[in-house]
Amino acid sequence: MTFMPGDRRPQPDDPTLRRVVAELRRPVAFDPAIDAGALRVIGAGRRRATWARSRRWLGLAAALAASVVIAVGVYRTAPAGPRSRPVLLRLVAPASSAVVVVGDFNDWNPAANPLEQTGAGEWTIRLELRPGRYRYTFLVDGREWKSDPAEPPAPDDDYGAPLSVLTVS
Amino acid sequence: MTPREAALSPSPAESPARPVRLSQGDAGGGLSGTTESDAVLVARTLAGDLAAFAGLMARYRNGLGLYALHMLGNREDAEEALQDAFVRAYWALASCRDPQRFGAWLFRIVVNRCRTLQRRLRRHDRVVVLPDDLPTRGDVSETLGWREEIGRALDRLRPQYREAFLLRYVEGMEYEEIARLTGAKEPAVRMRVKRASQKLRELLHDVHAG
Repeated sequence: MTFMPGDRRPQPDDPTLRRVVAELRRPVAFDPAIDAGALRVIGAGRRRATWARSRRWLGLAAALAASVVIAVGVYRTAPAGPRSRPVLLRLVAPASSAVVVVGDFNDWNPAANPLEQTGAGEWTIRLELRPGRYRYTFLVDGREWKSDPAEPPAPDDDYGAPLSVLTVS
Repeated sequence: MTPREAALSPSPAESPARPVRLSQGDAGGGLSGTTESDAVLVARTLAGDLAAFAGLMARYRNGLGLYALHMLGNREDAEEALQDAFVRAYWALASCRDPQRFGAWLFRIVVNRCRTLQRRLRRHDRVVVLPDDLPTRGDVSETLGWREEIGRALDRLRPQYREAFLLRYVEGMEYEEIARLTGAKEPAVRMRVKRASQKLRELLHDVHAG
């Protein structure tokens, strides 16, 4: 029976219980592997926590990158706004051999939208345009600008040629 | 320092709040022979030094393990409770308001882990564990028999009676402290200790007398 010097712990009055308590107080050594096991668990938890933190940041970065990619994709491929509407442009130019239309809808590119001869001196083209306001004009035989008599003239004349304004609703 | 804290310390002369010298080979993580106080080791742990926490575990392993062993009845469960308590203590260390009383704070975690494990396991395979200070070879069988009887008797106590008895007489806690720790009212604690004592006396009197 061993009592540590200076032990101020209470003692039962009963001699049997005093003996029991003395026995229960006797030291028992526990394996240091317990500490090592706890450290392994703690280490794994710290790695998980670090990884979770990294993953959160990686996730945020990935989400941001994905958003940018999607936004760019949408910007480039998806139709912006409402659906396009068919528009028929018509010019009567009986003595002409070629008529093209240039305007805001084709970046004023003379090769983009040539008109077809559909009757005696009648040239037409069918375009798909989204709602909006477009300035345009016809180029006849590669040298003569002609505005569309069916539509109002544009107030500005930046190109030095007669322009028409088409409003698609 | 309460009597229980004194008993929990590696030696009666050493306090968790005062510099404590760990025995060689007992401190893990390169802290063998550290004289740093609990408060310093807690601060170092919170700063990310895992070796400091290893020092704290080494300091309290045997004292806390003894309680878990008596409470749960076998070394395997005691070790599980102890390891679990160490891990929980590490993650909750920032909530230890008084690092100088780290030992008392850790002990509370161990007590709770023992309660949880007791409910979960519902095992009663109490195994006799011999103490480290067996004086002579001749005492082994006597000690083994006596400890076996004590183990059986403890096992027959209700867990809250066993807990109250161990906290009062083995850990040396005041009734008020036990009440705070266990959440029971102080008169209830006194009653539990009394009933545990009566039961143990009944169960062990004949063995002791014989």
